[in-house]
Amino acid sequence: MSGLVSDEVAEDYKSSLEDLTGNDRFQISNLTVIAKENTEHAMAISRVLENHIRSTPPQQKLPALYVVDSIVKNVGTPYTLFLGRNMYQTFMNAYTLVDTQTRRKLDEMLKTWKEPVPGSLDTRPVFPPEITRNIESALIKARTAALQQEQARGSRDILNRGRGTGTPPGMSRPANNHHGTNGQAYSTPTPPQGHRPGSELDALNRDLEACILSARNDFAAAPFDPTSQQRLKALLDLQTIMRNQQLTPEQLRLVRDQLSAFRPQASAAQNQVPSAPPAAVPAVATPIPPPAPVSTPPTQTTSQPLQNLLNSRTLAELIKNTAIRQQPTPPPAIPNVMPPMPQMPQMASASSTPQPENPLIAALRSRGILPPASAPPAMGSTGQGPTRDSLPFLVSGGISGMRSTPPAPTPPVSMPVSSTVPMNTASMKIPRVALVVSLYEAKSNRCGTCGRRFPTTQEGKEKKARHLDWHFKTNQRMSEAAKRAQTRSWYVDERDWIKSREVDDDQPVADTDATTEGGAGAEGNVAKQGLPKAWIRAPNDGTLRNTPCPICQEKFESTWSEDVQDWIWQDAVKVGSRVYHASCYAEVTKDGPAPRSSTPQARTGTPDSVLGKRKAEGTDSPGGKTRIKTEA
Amino acid sequence: MSLPGLELTQPSERVLAVAPPSQIALKAGSEWRFEVAFGHIVRVKLLTGTAELFGTELAESQTYTFSGTKAAIYTWYGCELEVSAGDTGTVTSDGVTPVAGHGAGGCQSEYTAEETPMIEYANLHFALETMRQEAQGSGKDGPRVLLLGPDDAGKTSLAKILTAYATKVGRQPLVVNLDPTEGILSVPGTLTATAFRTMLDIEDGWGSSPMSGPSPVPVKLPLVYSYPLANPLDAEGSVYRPIVSRLALSVTGRLAEDEEGRETGIIVDAPGILSSGKPGSLELINHIVTEFAITTIVVLGSERLYSTMVKQYDNKPSASASATIFDERISVLKLSKSGGCVDRDDAFRKATRESQIRSYFFGNPMPTTASAALSLSASSTSGVTLSPHAQVMDFASLSIFNYTVVSAEDEDEDEYDPSTLGMGGSFLPPGKDDSTPQHSEPDRAAPLPGIIGLSNDVHNPSTSNSSSNVPLKKVLPPAPSALANTLIAVTHASTTAPPAQVCDASIMGFLYVADVDAEKGKIRVLAPVGGRLPPRAMIWARRWPTEVVGLVG
Repeated sequence: MSGLVSDEVAEDYKSSLEDLTGNDRFQISNLTVIAKENTEHAMAISRVLENHIRSTPPQQKLPALYVVDSIVKNVGTPYTLFLGRNMYQTFMNAYTLVDTQTRRKLDEMLKTWKEPVPGSLDTRPVFPPEITRNIESALIKARTAALQQEQARGSRDILNRGRGTGTPPGMSRPANNHHGTNGQAYSTPTPPQGHRPGSELDALNRDLEACILSARNDFAAAPFDPTSQQRLKALLDLQTIMRNQQLTPEQLRLVRDQLSAFRPQASAAQNQVPSAPPAAVPAVATPIPPPAPVSTPPTQTTSQPLQNLLNSRTLAELIKNTAIRQQPTPPPAIPNVMPPMPQMPQMASASSTPQPENPLIAALRSRGILPPASAPPAMGSTGQGPTRDSLPFLVSGGISGMRSTPPAPTPPVSMPVSSTVPMNTASMKIPRVALVVSLYEAKSNRCGTCGRRFPTTQEGKEKKARHLDWHFKTNQRMSEAAKRAQTRSWYVDERDWIKSREVDDDQPVADTDATTEGGAGAEGNVAKQGLPKAWIRAPNDGTLRNTPCPICQEKFESTWSEDVQDWIWQDAVKVGSRVYHASCYAEVTKDGPAPRSSTPQARTGTPDSVLGKRKAEGTDSPGGKTRIKTEA
Repeated sequence: MSLPGLELTQPSERVLAVAPPSQIALKAGSEWRFEVAFGHIVRVKLLTGTAELFGTELAESQTYTFSGTKAAIYTWYGCELEVSAGDTGTVTSDGVTPVAGHGAGGCQSEYTAEETPMIEYANLHFALETMRQEAQGSGKDGPRVLLLGPDDAGKTSLAKILTAYATKVGRQPLVVNLDPTEGILSVPGTLTATAFRTMLDIEDGWGSSPMSGPSPVPVKLPLVYSYPLANPLDAEGSVYRPIVSRLALSVTGRLAEDEEGRETGIIVDAPGILSSGKPGSLELINHIVTEFAITTIVVLGSERLYSTMVKQYDNKPSASASATIFDERISVLKLSKSGGCVDRDDAFRKATRESQIRSYFFGNPMPTTASAALSLSASSTSGVTLSPHAQVMDFASLSIFNYTVVSAEDEDEDEYDPSTLGMGGSFLPPGKDDSTPQHSEPDRAAPLPGIIGLSNDVHNPSTSNSSSNVPLKKVLPPAPSALANTLIAVTHASTTAPPAQVCDASIMGFLYVADVDAEKGKIRVLAPVGGRLPPRAMIWARRWPTEVVGLVG
């Protein structure tokens, strides 16, 4: 072993490192063992490791850092020394480029570095404290800066952070370059894009070609693998674009970003193709994670301050390396290029296969029931060609045309089969347009709000009236509900679910008995709770809360209700804008006719004449009790 | 200005100016397919004619808003649509301006297709309707349909169409979702059963589970079970199978009592992985066919699976108890995959999962000031905002279980973890780790920081006795830091229930862990409902369905 020259060891180590694409414990321990056995080449290996971490794509930085971690913990001294020297740069470089989840892992790892090696007798920490301290303080500063930035942007984004696509990483950088005049460490290094576009374009083209080559190999090895198909297609598209268009530096950078996602495969292929072409195939064909979709919006928010913190030297290095090699965001857009690709054969086969193998169709056709073979028996084609003549009512499309007796040629198709449709594959291909009527015209009375249909019969009209009523109530309650917090209810358990019955809003009121409480969810509980004893939700309004009952002049007590999940006032009733004790109110009003619209369930302080009228017509049975139940 | 395929990385300055509304005229029997990116909003209005989105009819001149969707609007008789871009400025509150695509209204992609398999799909509905009428007359059970096919073949869309058509003609289908990668009325990582009586939600896919307040589209009541792994085939289906059986039992129980449900039957949406031909998938299909007494197997987009299914099931008696009385036989059908099926890439699926989790806690994120101002009567555009409750809980007081089986695709088990390595001061020799079979040995259970040390000391007497055949294990304090940003399923089982009961118990709801303070033994969680958390056993699925970072600030 020791006979080997450092360079060779380093070269070997480098190639093994390049194979490490994921967090694989076996590979990592293997790499550690190699490092252990070659401590005399520790310097070379450390350098390889550092270079590798710097140049590898962001997704592969974590495993590489784990190798470092494993080595320093299990081998120790020479490595701790060598790796420690540049640890700040190595770590920060990686940290700025990875996504939030990886960052958390890095944080965790850093934490272990401050402690002694677990199980070891040595009480010194893994890395000397000054190294970890430097990194930590930089991180803390970065976080503070990020936090401030975030606060400045307002708190509104808290809930939705991580959604959607982030500002592309490139955006922050060029933007900074533009107004980076305020002496930021940043403006010193020339951004690579503006620097030497010509040579860079060449390099890019070369890279692209290499990628295409490897993708071709890949495709040849697995022609039916959609991912390789898609990748090749995407690359070819990219190449066409590059050739045909003058691209701005910024666009070039985007291209580079995309390309960097293919890089691991490409370099593997490049290394092996010249020597042993067949060997390249398995190497490439190993399932490489397709351009890993890492969503990194938070990354960008923090990476800027982080970069401000780094000194200019590191930064120049960092930008040089990262801009050419990689970007934190692999192109999530790639898949969007492809959908048409895999689809085309599908469509073709879908329309062509059924024809020859479908004896029923053939039989129908021979009897002249179906149009001649040129038109596949699919709905899509009915609008064109010969079918247009045979199925004129379809094209006219009007509902009226549909309902009037269809013209002569069509009845044989649909009428005989309309009653029963056999369950077999052949039967599925026969157009039964007449049956579609059952979904549309059979119920021609449409609800304007949700598109639901009702028959034109008397019963249908009644149902629609109830349905509209439901809409009305729901809308009304929605606007009320917007004022207070709502929550998702717990799911029901098995017994309740089995006992529950779906209740339609068009059901007569009497149908909705107690079994529907499950279906009604929490609202059902509310109703149930509300029935024996009147209560209301404790008002949020301070003055109202402190106003006593006008009758007995006592204040109301708020109690927490488990069922309602809110503070409520027991035995309370709101009449108009005032709240009474229900018992007091009942006492006072029991002689006179209690106004129906202000029954205990009156949930609102928004009196409305239309509302009152609606309520009256919807509820013929006592009070609002049953009404509430139907509101599920 | 922009490169094809690079929309997502396009700088935000170049967002296209909000496009004027464009009108799309659809011929009879054609459909308009559109994709809307997450964070972008597209409004669609039906001007004239009739149109349906996966079987659910659109109301005329109502505005529907879509975001993060790939869908299609079909018309039987022709229609005219108006498409416009949403007011993106108000939508994204995260400071990131979403990027509009180039299509009408800023769709990422949109086109009109004349060739659709809708005839076939409608025929399937009519054939099912025939069976339902028969069931109504004779007293036998309605059809039980199993939808099979690879991922992105349109299974769930077909399930929606069948459900929508059935509810439209006044039926009440029971929809069973067995695909843990997609949640129906719940978050991903669940298997659910739901009876649909009311309309599906055009914008939201299926609708919403109950909330404390009203909802513009009637809520649906799902029965939820937790399947905390991505792949049903994991652990040879030993985790999946009992849950499916339990779910089938509940469904059977419901149908026995619910007359309308019985006549209408069941629609089962199977996970795409079962059609991949992986070892064990046929056994799982068989399990599903038996447990739900499937009568109709529909295969989408897989010729090979179709022929296998025909060989195995076509014309065989169904597993129903009454199969012999009524001579009930299984029929196997093949339907075309729609040309509109697009592959949803991992990023999109992840975004979908995240948005499902988000809307579980926070409600429909759609409502904007713009849409609220539009009209109050347009119920479809006003979503519901929910307010979950954050609270700090003592980790030791919780009874959290964790599955000890390892997902086949989950390399976590072999992951290098800086905080555990070096613990023994030496390495596992290479190979040893690999040779250990993947079954449920408690000591190999979970490489979680915080657990591993404990299990090494404690596991022998206590943990392995009761749970020997159930791959569930209690997570003991200290709270593992990996809990952060994950979901915990709260079951209906009591805290003292044995693992065997916990694993197939139905689910009450989910908690989101915002923070873990291992030192103080506290975790900060987001609960859908305020108040004290009911004392129930919980299941923690580690990284599945997904880690959502920053759900709470």
